Amino acid sequence: MTSSSRDVAPKGQTRAALLFLLPAFVLIAVFVAYPIVYAGWLSFFRWDGASAPTFVGLDNFLRLATDAIFWKSLGRNILIAATAIVLQVFLALLIAYCLVRIVPFVSRLFLFFYLVPVMVSEICIGLLWRFLYNPYFGLVNASLKALGLGWLQRGWLGDSATAFPAVVVVMSFTYLGLYVLLFVAAVRNVPESLYETAEIDGAGHFTRFFSITVPMVWDAVRANTLLAIIGSLKTFSLVFVLTNGGPNQASEVVSTYLYKAGFSSFEMGYAATIGFAQIVLTAAGAFVIFRYLKRARGGNER
Amino acid sequence: MRMRASTLPASGPVRRVTPTTIIVLAVLTAHVLMVIFPFVWVAYSTLKTNKEFMRSVWALPTSFSLDAYVGAWSGGALGTYAMNSLWIMAGATVLTVIVATLAGYALAVYRPRWMAGVELSLMAAMAIPAYVALVPLVVLLRNAGLLDTHLGVILPTAAFNIPVSIFIMRAFFVTLPRELFDAARLDGTGEFGIFRHIAMPIAWPAMFTVAVVNMIWVWNDFLFPVVFINSPARKTLPVGLTDFVGEHITNYPVMLAAILIAAIAPLVLFVFFERQITSALLGGAVKE
Repeated sequence: MTSSSRDVAPKGQTRAALLFLLPAFVLIAVFVAYPIVYAGWLSFFRWDGASAPTFVGLDNFLRLATDAIFWKSLGRNILIAATAIVLQVFLALLIAYCLVRIVPFVSRLFLFFYLVPVMVSEICIGLLWRFLYNPYFGLVNASLKALGLGWLQRGWLGDSATAFPAVVVVMSFTYLGLYVLLFVAAVRNVPESLYETAEIDGAGHFTRFFSITVPMVWDAVRANTLLAIIGSLKTFSLVFVLTNGGPNQASEVVSTYLYKAGFSSFEMGYAATIGFAQIVLTAAGAFVIFRYLKRARGGNER
Repeated sequence: MRMRASTLPASGPVRRVTPTTIIVLAVLTAHVLMVIFPFVWVAYSTLKTNKEFMRSVWALPTSFSLDAYVGAWSGGALGTYAMNSLWIMAGATVLTVIVATLAGYALAVYRPRWMAGVELSLMAAMAIPAYVALVPLVVLLRNAGLLDTHLGVILPTAAFNIPVSIFIMRAFFVTLPRELFDAARLDGTGEFGIFRHIAMPIAWPAMFTVAVVNMIWVWNDFLFPVVFINSPARKTLPVGLTDFVGEHITNYPVMLAAILIAAIAPLVLFVFFERQITSALLGGAVKE
């Protein structure tokens, strides 16, 4: 930074900036960055967490490459992300449009209700949904019976065919509100005049939604999609409390698998490998999606 | 969803009630009821006795009894868990607010070329799942003698919440006019003086906003407390709650009362500080 770029004392400002950033830098370096580097280092060792670690070279990575449970778990994280884009991001945009453009008189109240599950701990939410899914007296089964679909009744979380979809349903109910909030703010920022013109042209809500709202809030769509993907890869507590990855690892995700490897089987080196591989894949995935959305946007308007 | 026939040009901001309005209202109302039903159900179920609960799990209570709350409070260590959560929440929130205010200010006010790199690293840190750091953090905390202590939970929790909190603070500080700082600089005020005497006094509402969302996040956090704390006497509420539920599997109203007790603090915060919380979520997430 040369003094030509600023009128006043940029050198003093740079030093001040560094000082202001220092506490954040120290905390993030010690508790976020260093652990990730350390995870990379630990992935070359076999270690039970107590005795001395044994260097095993690339054994952990080779094991990971052929570990069907890891890849299936990762696949479920990606599936969660895909459903989140539809059941959370897209649905939230649709709800936000309705709240802002069609029923604005209830938008504040409804937004409040949508945000309630966002505020409550996932542990509480998971415990409550265990009642809804209960095989003996759960409301899900009771509703099916009432609708004459009694043959569909089952122990949703205990059945390996339905455990994972059941968890995904809880997730979409739980996190939806955050995206409704973000989209309500974005949809409100769309200039009224655009809708007025469309209205005069006789465009219905369907047309207005897809030809005005969606392109106008595309930045928010992109940001929220990224947010949903990142959130889906982070997911832990809801799965932990609903199924703990079971039955028979039918709803295992990367986080629960890592947790079990590290703190039930005490394979710390392998748990670190799972985490380290996940971070690399997360980064790559986010990058690709981000680029793709950027290009998709450049394609339909400029 | 094609409903064009029903919408006529509205005159001014006042909209006419059309069939579309009614249909949309009905569908959204049904959906909202589904979203909040579990919370409504847990609230009225805690008023039942266990016998009444077992007779009809989903029906409204016929009696009004607070026994479940008494049972929940006296039947376990919820009070202890709540105090532990409170300490960890207070510690992590205070630390996060102070650190994020300083850094958010730097990000908004100073623009040396490397600041873009700082922003990028913070966004990367936001994307990192906490469980990736789990095993190394256990080693780190054990070596530092912080495993199974509240401080051992506070420090990593704050570190993981700091990046998003920085962006919320930055979103506030960028709204301040630059002239404010330039004028003070011309008067010879030092950089820290400007922060202390000009920025800080008007930053309290933003700091409070960051504090409220962090309180909720930390209170609800599960991963770090469940891994880093073993002693029952030091467990936090969400972790203790999972133990409690396992021990009270036979008395549902008591179990539900415990769940409600754990859920109530963030909901109270949300009711009172809805505006701050929503603005924080917007300020932190609108960053791309």
